[in-house]
Amino acid sequence: MMEPTPAPKIECRHLWKLFGPDPERVRPLLTQGVSKTDILTQTGHVVAVQDVSFAVRPGELFVVMGLSGSGKSTLVRCLSRLIEPTEGEIWVDGVDVMKMDAAALRQLRRHQMSMVFQRFGLFPHRRVLENVAYGLEVQGMEKATRLKKAQELLDLVGLAGWGHKYPHELSGGMQQRVGLARALAVDPHILLCDEPFSALDPLIRREMQDELIRLQKMMHKTIIFITHDFLEAVKLGDRIAIMKDGVFVQVGTPQEIVSQPADSYVREFTKDVPRVKVLTARDVMRPRTPFPPNGYSPTCPPSLTLESLIPLVMDHDDLCLVLDEDALCIGELDRTLVMQAMVGG
Amino acid sequence: MVLPYPRIRRTYFNIALMLLLGVAAALLAWHHLGGGIGPFPAEWNLGLRQPMDDFKVWAIGNRNSHPIFLYFFTPLSRLIDSSLRQVEAFLLWLPWPVLAAAIFLTAYRVANGGTALVTTGCLLLMGFTGYWRQSMQTLALMLIAVLIALLIGIPLGILSSRSDRLEKGLRPLLDAMQTMPAFVYLIPVLLLFGVARVPSVIATVIYALPPAIRLTNLGLRQVSAEALEAAQAFGSTPRQMLFKVQLPMALPTIMAGVNQTIMMALSIVVIAALIGGGGLGELVLQALRTLRVGRALEAGLAIVFMAILLDRLSDALARLDVTGRPPRTEPFRLASRWQGVGWASHVERAGQKFVRTGDRMMGWASRFTAHPYGLLSACFLLLLLLVSLLAGWQTFPPAWKIGLEGVTDNAVRWAQVHLYNIGGRGWGTGPFSDWLTLQVLNPLRSFLTVGLPWPVLILLVAAAGLALSGWRLAVGSGVGLLLLGFLGMWNASMDTLSQVIVAVLLAVLLGVPVGIAAARHPSLERGLRPLLDFLQTIPSFVYLVPVIMLFNLGRVPGIIASVLYALPPTIRLTTLGLKQVDAAATEAARAFGSTTWQSLRKVELPLALPSIMAGINQTIMMVLSMVIIAGLVGSSGLGIEVVTGLARNQLGLGVESGLAIVILAIIIDRLAQATVQRYQQAMNLSQG
Repeated sequence: MMEPTPAPKIECRHLWKLFGPDPERVRPLLTQGVSKTDILTQTGHVVAVQDVSFAVRPGELFVVMGLSGSGKSTLVRCLSRLIEPTEGEIWVDGVDVMKMDAAALRQLRRHQMSMVFQRFGLFPHRRVLENVAYGLEVQGMEKATRLKKAQELLDLVGLAGWGHKYPHELSGGMQQRVGLARALAVDPHILLCDEPFSALDPLIRREMQDELIRLQKMMHKTIIFITHDFLEAVKLGDRIAIMKDGVFVQVGTPQEIVSQPADSYVREFTKDVPRVKVLTARDVMRPRTPFPPNGYSPTCPPSLTLESLIPLVMDHDDLCLVLDEDALCIGELDRTLVMQAMVGG
Repeated sequence: MVLPYPRIRRTYFNIALMLLLGVAAALLAWHHLGGGIGPFPAEWNLGLRQPMDDFKVWAIGNRNSHPIFLYFFTPLSRLIDSSLRQVEAFLLWLPWPVLAAAIFLTAYRVANGGTALVTTGCLLLMGFTGYWRQSMQTLALMLIAVLIALLIGIPLGILSSRSDRLEKGLRPLLDAMQTMPAFVYLIPVLLLFGVARVPSVIATVIYALPPAIRLTNLGLRQVSAEALEAAQAFGSTPRQMLFKVQLPMALPTIMAGVNQTIMMALSIVVIAALIGGGGLGELVLQALRTLRVGRALEAGLAIVFMAILLDRLSDALARLDVTGRPPRTEPFRLASRWQGVGWASHVERAGQKFVRTGDRMMGWASRFTAHPYGLLSACFLLLLLLVSLLAGWQTFPPAWKIGLEGVTDNAVRWAQVHLYNIGGRGWGTGPFSDWLTLQVLNPLRSFLTVGLPWPVLILLVAAAGLALSGWRLAVGSGVGLLLLGFLGMWNASMDTLSQVIVAVLLAVLLGVPVGIAAARHPSLERGLRPLLDFLQTIPSFVYLVPVIMLFNLGRVPGIIASVLYALPPTIRLTTLGLKQVDAAATEAARAFGSTTWQSLRKVELPLALPSIMAGINQTIMMVLSMVIIAGLVGSSGLGIEVVTGLARNQLGLGVESGLAIVILAIIIDRLAQATVQRYQQAMNLSQG
């Protein structure tokens, strides 16, 4: 967060999506600052995505969290133009997706962006292995090669022996593993996940979340992950965007959102979050201009969660010093600060 | 039930309705008080006959010179003719044991042992009727016609699944093709494609085309949006989407369309025989015309067996899992079904041994090929072919014919002696036939033609259209009726209408109670199901054969056959409607102490009415088509006019009566559908 920001992998600028009879006609209104309700009442168009801008770094897992109808699924489909945005720019690796013709767009979808779907979107008439190989097949890869690649991916997601089954013969969790393997098989830079775990049982969902974390540690994809589950967002996201009625209400790291919710709407979500697992020393410390530590006070890294901080501050009456990578003290902590943070003060 | 008003202003609606009914009443009164409105004025005839006959002369005169014949119709006809000849020659050359084995192996693969036995059995039974040659001719015609229908229909279906505009544009055309009796286009087709059996192929194609288009379109449109989106998200081209995702997923529906196409094609073999289709249809037609009931029955049975064979085989194909594998094939299990039959267990043991040997050979063959079943089957068929050719088994041995002609003709004679007028006491099928003709049909016909002058009928039908739907239907049906007059077909249409009314009434009086009973007694429903399936599988004219045995020629056999033919939808949809009635409603009725009869009459029947009306609508259309076909056995009305037009080669007459049939069919269908819709609307209003 402190390091210099590399060039974004995906960047969205002022993205709009309107649903209605003739969005083209309404487009000029958008830049004039006409409100969403006015657009609906005057023109009959629904604004699904309203002037959304964000940038995602390479290797980042960016979560868009919102309730149903907030426009999050529309937003993720706009990124690969499965749904055509009404207005705005989308840049992937410095190329404007909005300017691509159909062939270039297909190349983008074939090689750079893959997608995992809420209800899996598997092809019922193809065996699991053929499902995984689909993306490679439409690229025109030779059969033996693509099946070999697909088998590797099946092994990776833990479905080594299931390639010859049909999707309906698998459980929901296994089907989504197939969906994940299918998306990863084309070796994309970017993974778009549209509520991939929402249709699964809670236990399986947790298992799949851990699986995604495991895979992401190995592969460092740039992931845009859509969810309606705030806890899932906190668990997975490097950064989270909270979306409401087509607008990003707040964008930040899980810690930032939990410790400084932008408004009461966001605060409602944070109530369920086990704060001790999310907040870190950096979020709760009293910042100091960096100075070399004295050498006998207890110390901790800024990324330590409250959960692990608690024993430290309980065992020591002194202030606890937060040291950065250069072993300079950037802040200090005491029991009161930790306890205030735990109750959400 | 109170029906809601149609979507026009209530005051205008009332005034218009009053006006129509008032004028109708006044005219009627004037007519009967001596004013006397004559028959539909002959001088208003549009005079279509002359230009049509001129066209015929032109077509015949220019067949060898005009470019449209030289470069389009004639080459096309030649192509179809030569492929038909080749397929026919092949089927006649192919030894019958090879065909039987091929059908068995295919059916065993795509379905199971039971289907394999039934389909092969049907082929053998076709042989036992003694008309192998004609069967193969008909089969060849079916294959070519169905192939052409699919070659046109599937691409059109694909296109219309991708363009809403095309789908909308095609819909009325397909509606017209399905309501239009095949008679209508027989003559134009005959003139344009006048080579040998080609016109009958074309007529069959036209008739059988709609389901292929419809179901391909439907299947493709039903492919799940998620699968499509996933395919798109992986960068599939439109062609990849179509061939890798849409078509494979739509395959079961498309195959259901193929099944329906085949059945439609089979259902007009006899009509196609009118313009030289040959084969079994020709046999039935000749036998019906010469009143050789036994022979008609034999040929009719051969058609029924072919229908069952093709139906089961294509139905099994349609039922194949999308995953491409048939439901697990079971080894023969006869003994469990026929317990106590001594030989069943022996057959079963032999059958299972056979299957096990087959499995072992498959295991052996799988070492060499990915498709052991196909390879082994091909080897077996080739071997059988060689043996058959050496042994000279090609045509089904005529000596094996199980002749039914003598038996049937005796039965007919017996029936005519004993059932026609039982014990000479004035009842039996003969007196019934006379009674229906003299006491019901004739009075109704004279009421429609004389008692109800034509302007009154037109006004009344328009009023019904207005009350049921609105201006459009009122004007449309009124103008349609006028057109019947302009075509010079008023009296013939009224004759046909009187037969339709009587047949529909009989079908409803029989079908609705049976449907109610079936809804109450599941065992009855289970028992009826195979019977209804059978009635719906066999081609319509086959009903004529037994019926003319009992009821002689004339209008009555046509009506009886229509009732039999059109009964299944009324029974089925009555049962369905009653079974779909919300259990809570019947429970509430019971809770208030209703008797069974009260619950049925006050709750269940009103709730089931939309479904029952939909069944009656189908029944009406089926009755109409059958009443027309009955023209073949000397009925009267529009049917006989068309048949005469065809038989005497009078194009004008054929076209006029054909158009009249279409117009009548459309008017009746639209009125019936409007009735169904009104009831559905009323239900929705009362529920919502």
